[in-house]
Amino acid sequence: MCSDFHRAESGTELLARLEGRSSLKEIEPHLFADEESPVHGDILEFHGAEGTGKTEMLYHLTARCILPKSEGGLEVEVVFIDTDYHFDMLRLVTVLEHRLSQSSEEAVRHCLGRLFLLYCGGSTQLLLTLCSLQTMLCSHPSVCLLILDSLSAFYWIDRANGGESVNLQESTLKKCAHLLEKLVNEYRLVLFATTQSIMQKASNPEEGPSCAFNRPSDVDVDYRPYLCKAWQQVVKRRILFSKQNDSKAGNQFSLVSRHLKSNNLKKHFFTIGESGVEFC
Amino acid sequence: MGVLRAGLCPGLTQDMVQLLKSGGIKTVVELVSADLEEVAQKCGLSYKALVALRRVLLAQFSAFPFNGADLYEELKTTTAILSTGIGSLDKLLDAGLYTGEVTEIVGAPGSGKTQVCLCVAANVAHGLQQNVLYIDSNGGLTASRILQLLQARTLDEEEQVRSSSGTLKVVVVDSVAAVVAPLLGGQQREGLALMVQLARELKTLARDLSVAVLVRKWAWSAMLAFSLVPGLHQVGRCSFQVTNHMTRDRDSGQLKPALGRSWSFVPSTRLLLDSTQGSGSLGSRRVACLTKSPRLPTGCQETVDLGSWGTPAFQGDHKGHWEQSPVFQGDHT
Repeated sequence: MCSDFHRAESGTELLARLEGRSSLKEIEPHLFADEESPVHGDILEFHGAEGTGKTEMLYHLTARCILPKSEGGLEVEVVFIDTDYHFDMLRLVTVLEHRLSQSSEEAVRHCLGRLFLLYCGGSTQLLLTLCSLQTMLCSHPSVCLLILDSLSAFYWIDRANGGESVNLQESTLKKCAHLLEKLVNEYRLVLFATTQSIMQKASNPEEGPSCAFNRPSDVDVDYRPYLCKAWQQVVKRRILFSKQNDSKAGNQFSLVSRHLKSNNLKKHFFTIGESGVEFC
Repeated sequence: MGVLRAGLCPGLTQDMVQLLKSGGIKTVVELVSADLEEVAQKCGLSYKALVALRRVLLAQFSAFPFNGADLYEELKTTTAILSTGIGSLDKLLDAGLYTGEVTEIVGAPGSGKTQVCLCVAANVAHGLQQNVLYIDSNGGLTASRILQLLQARTLDEEEQVRSSSGTLKVVVVDSVAAVVAPLLGGQQREGLALMVQLARELKTLARDLSVAVLVRKWAWSAMLAFSLVPGLHQVGRCSFQVTNHMTRDRDSGQLKPALGRSWSFVPSTRLLLDSTQGSGSLGSRRVACLTKSPRLPTGCQETVDLGSWGTPAFQGDHKGHWEQSPVFQGDHT
């Protein structure tokens, strides 16, 4: 599909595509231990119920990327695709203002200049947007991070439109998953995609926060895969978000990060303050 | 958006559509994902023309990349925060209802959701001089009650009836559960799809899209209300306030907001109204608790006194048995 673009690509464009992307290894040391930090071509899925901090984590990672190097950021560009009109610019600005040493309007605007937002109204539009993203990525060699919030927004609409055939219902999402994999591999990006936990949990009589501590594998009971197989196959790492409900912990959130090939599990805790996510 | 037809985009003629159809390409997605060299050979169209067509289609139908700085500038001028007129609620909402967002009020029957909505409507219409669209699917909106609320603010009759030249700033849907719940349940996934579609329309309307989009998709009487209100095409950014019921969770037995998980992602802010615990008698005080917010920590609580709005004091049973002066009885339409 990119063949007509490849033909037109000049030498500089080729170099820009392959070499210009900086590494995201230091994007979040708490979240990714050294050997597992997101490498080019990685696809990470954030999964959780509502109010568990997925979007806040995205703001945290976005801020980390777009802040200048002098303020502790990575100074790279981010493409944020919003599918359910969820993106809160004012919240991101608050997070940035708290992290900048001098939070002037100029500094904030400079950071925001590295962020590109796309709003998608349907799964077909998402597919077409991903197709046209290739031109954009060619002309912006400093984009390293692609964020998709959220991939599951069209799930029910697609199911209703696809009639009785499961294949038809999933076809657009399948194409999107393949395109996303192609994009992150060709342009050496990292993709963070959120999916909402919209299916009822299977009722488990042993559920409870104490169990999650003793047997981390139980947390997977919360995860019920419902998106198409093509998507599940391209995900490298799945991060499950949940909120601690006991009152003495206050507003504490937890996430379990699971590398799908090596089955490596890691648990982290964080709170959300004015300046965004803070790991405990 | 899907099917290719003449005039869909500049340069797409009926002949081209026919040739593409003969090669098995009927929709925009099929054309964009196809190998254009193959298509050129099969359909007899020139490769260059196909590349140009693909570029035009993508430019027309894919999302436009907004630069963060530009978007921020635009938001600074178009976002407004609308006070609800109730001090304690404003504290929970971080100064008021934000335009561009959906705020949900949840509570058991009789917890005061409709009264809060009416108070917000009265405050925005009178205090802030902006238009309010009130969609009532519950029967809770009565002219007499609105009049009482306005009378508590001003005794000047002319001020009470003056129509505003302001723009539409708040849309209240009371209640969204009454409209959507009959569709859910059972094996019908159409119900969930409709609910999700409704939620998307609410959000795009909140963020400034023309009303024609809504009317095109919906046949529900609630949504037809939009087409009947004149002068609505210049909507601009407005705030949505919806109310929702509570249901019992089947596993834990606890009360939770109705309409399920798929709806729970829709509002950006959620307030839970509860009768004061342990108060036994049904007084006029309610406790509002912030259970979801994009900018404040959840769990904060404030007391809201329903009896302090308008006269008379809230007495007895919940469902709208307001004391009414004889003048207003029979005013119901």
